[in-house]
Amino acid sequence: MELPAIPNRIETITAFKQNSGMIAAVLPIHYPRSLFRAFDVLPVEVWGPPGTDVSHGGAHLQPYVCSIVHNALSFLKKGGLDLADFIAVPHTCDSLQGFGSILLDFVKPKQSIFPLYLPRGNRPEDLRFLTEEFRQLYRHLSGLTGKKPSEEILLRCIRREEKADDLLRQLYEKRQKVSLSNYSFYHLVRTREYLPAETFISIAEKVLSRKGFDNPKGTAIILSGIVPEPMEVLTTITELGAAVVADDLACCGRRLYASGKSEQPFRRMAERILNAPPDPTRGNSLEERKQYLLRLADQTDARGVVFYDVKFCEPELFDLPRLRAKLKAAGLPSVQIEIDLNDPLSNQIVTRIGAFLEILG
Amino acid sequence: MSVSATLKYMVNVNIIGKTALGWQRRRAEHSTFSSSKWRTDILSEPLRIGARTKELISLHYLAGRYANGHRPVAWVTSGGPVEILQALGYYVLYPENHGALCGARRAVVDISTEAENAGYSRDICSYARTDIGSVLSGKTPVGKLPKPDLLLACTNICQTVLHWYRVLADHFNVPLILIDTPFVYDEAPDHAIKFVRRQLEDSIPVSEQVAGKTLEYKKLQEVLQLSKDATELWLEIMGRGKQHPAPLSVFDQFIHMAPIVEMRGLKTTVDFYSQLLKELDERISKGIGALKKERKRLLWDNLPIWYRLRYLSEYLAERGIAVVASTYTNAWGELAPLINVDKPLDSMARTYLYPILNKGTKYKLNTMRRMVEDFDLNGVILHSDRSCKPYSIGQVDQRNRLIKEYNIPALLLEADHDDPRAYAEEQVASRLAAFMEMLED
Ligand code: SF4
Ligand code: SF4
Repeated sequence: MELPAIPNRIETITAFKQNSGMIAAVLPIHYPRSLFRAFDVLPVEVWGPPGTDVSHGGAHLQPYVCSIVHNALSFLKKGGLDLADFIAVPHTCDSLQGFGSILLDFVKPKQSIFPLYLPRGNRPEDLRFLTEEFRQLYRHLSGLTGKKPSEEILLRCIRREEKADDLLRQLYEKRQKVSLSNYSFYHLVRTREYLPAETFISIAEKVLSRKGFDNPKGTAIILSGIVPEPMEVLTTITELGAAVVADDLACCGRRLYASGKSEQPFRRMAERILNAPPDPTRGNSLEERKQYLLRLADQTDARGVVFYDVKFCEPELFDLPRLRAKLKAAGLPSVQIEIDLNDPLSNQIVTRIGAFLEILG
Repeated sequence: MSVSATLKYMVNVNIIGKTALGWQRRRAEHSTFSSSKWRTDILSEPLRIGARTKELISLHYLAGRYANGHRPVAWVTSGGPVEILQALGYYVLYPENHGALCGARRAVVDISTEAENAGYSRDICSYARTDIGSVLSGKTPVGKLPKPDLLLACTNICQTVLHWYRVLADHFNVPLILIDTPFVYDEAPDHAIKFVRRQLEDSIPVSEQVAGKTLEYKKLQEVLQLSKDATELWLEIMGRGKQHPAPLSVFDQFIHMAPIVEMRGLKTTVDFYSQLLKELDERISKGIGALKKERKRLLWDNLPIWYRLRYLSEYLAERGIAVVASTYTNAWGELAPLINVDKPLDSMARTYLYPILNKGTKYKLNTMRRMVEDFDLNGVILHSDRSCKPYSIGQVDQRNRLIKEYNIPALLLEADHDDPRAYAEEQVASRLAAFMEMLED
């Protein structure tokens, strides 16, 4: 089944700017979309992008930094982020910390930079801290845009994002019924990286209102890692006879934010991020990650996990040996694939995934 | 805590260990024959304090060997707020220091391979790999490491420690205290300081529960005072590098820094550094430098290359190059003024937020520039450390700025702090040779 027409990044950015909105380029992973939107700023995420000429990044970064960061810096220096008015850098890992610091201190792009620290736990003090961090971001945005959105506007923006996220959740829940190919499903899910919530809502509603879906065909698997790039890997998985029925990807499933409870906007934004599915960059334990993956497998009848990770990504690499052993002990086998955003999908990767699927039978 | 473990500890550590190690030290101190393996034709005789350093480190690991069952044991990250644990009587182990020791003793490849065979990637920090390999195999050059009852990870050096300590927490199934210190891009905002303070406060009941005793405020103040004293002394020691010739090199600092990292808050550490300072002052009064002939002076940035300390030291000394200061060793001294014993938790919150590794790339560049000026240096070697991203990212720009904007010769040297497999001697030698030429221009 085909997807409804979806505007691409450039079309979306151009249209938003034409309506006198502004753009924030946002690095991975977690940040409060609604806070930007309350200032009429559209966050557009930068996950690399893949296939960038990395020589520009190489003038600032050593080769042992992951390709997400290398590419983002190259992309910025090549003018790829020229349409952005701001750049937000969540403190996701040591590499993004360095990236934010280099931008502020040395690269100094024309855009204002917002670093954003994300606490590594879900304790009461983490909630308090993150609430204050968002309040500080509000003050920065206010200073730069001259706007002071009221609590009511903030809450309205939060609820709109919550509605979009709820529909995203429904898409995942009905993944078994929404008969989209692996590629199309993730193409749709990943539009959350740049579409305004209202546009995403209308597309998601259209897809969800369709009738007569088939179950996806093939061996059910979970995809874990940072980002499914090159996206062609999803088509390859289909061709190899498997269906990605759930994911634990940083750009997708780890951001299935539930609605917040508080009526205080900054706190509610913080609650949403802190209560998201387990994510090593937010400090979740191995046990939490194991339980989450087993639950996903249980709900979707997934028979194995493909850990699809970016080379040099420490947050992912540390967990894998024990996490995979725990899953194996619980009857959920896995395979580990390492990619560089700039490499085409290699035969070796295709063979490894194929061999894994054969084992799953 | 068990009576038999205490008995074993008393006999093996307090009686046999202390006596034997004390005797070994005295013998080394009084020996007229130099046992140094380092080249004394180009380097001065090693510092006499070396015998004491060896004694302290050996005793520390010996105490660790018998600690389980006798004292609570905590494994802590190198920038972690250790004072609360010291005040509660914990035996504190720093896996990073153990990693450094494994590096210096060339045991890393063997131990790290154990972790790699278990699935840990060679792309993760080599300290972490060495530690995990040691945990999985029991291999260590120090005999045996105690099992932790508590883990404490403080993110003020990197986020890597969070991931590493979660693996340890899962393996040992013990509580993990996280002290999360928001990165300071410029100045730490108020809410970040409060955040760290609250976490320190919350760490107390957990540490008390594991230790089975209550923290005495007075004891905490005492420990904090000792910590401050030792840190101030360390700062003074490094400051002696400003002398011409410098009485100690960074290679000496790397060797003698273990107590400031893993024994902060102890009286022995204060005594140790007082003695070292005295020895340096003696050297200064006699005009003795770390090198027999000091022609040029450099700054070292980033962690040491533990497995090639001697090679680098001698290679440079042969050419009259003294490396007299380092941003790395400086990190354990520069925060001394922030410690305030009258406000333990408030001052700890600030102190532990501000290490150089928790501050922006520009701050590090400014620190390098300031040190070049203060120590009257001719250039900088920036060790681009493959598996320590937080320290290394930013170095390319820092090097470029040092050269272009401040006219300071600077070299980026690719290696790894602990893993010799990421080190190419020929390449290092040729890069150093080219840099030496530049220094002569
Ligand atoms: S891929 Fe990993 S290391 Fe790279 S930016 Fe993302 S979380 Fe950080
Ligand atoms: S990554 Fe660097 S700062 Fe962190 S533990 Fe390893 S060596 Fe230390």
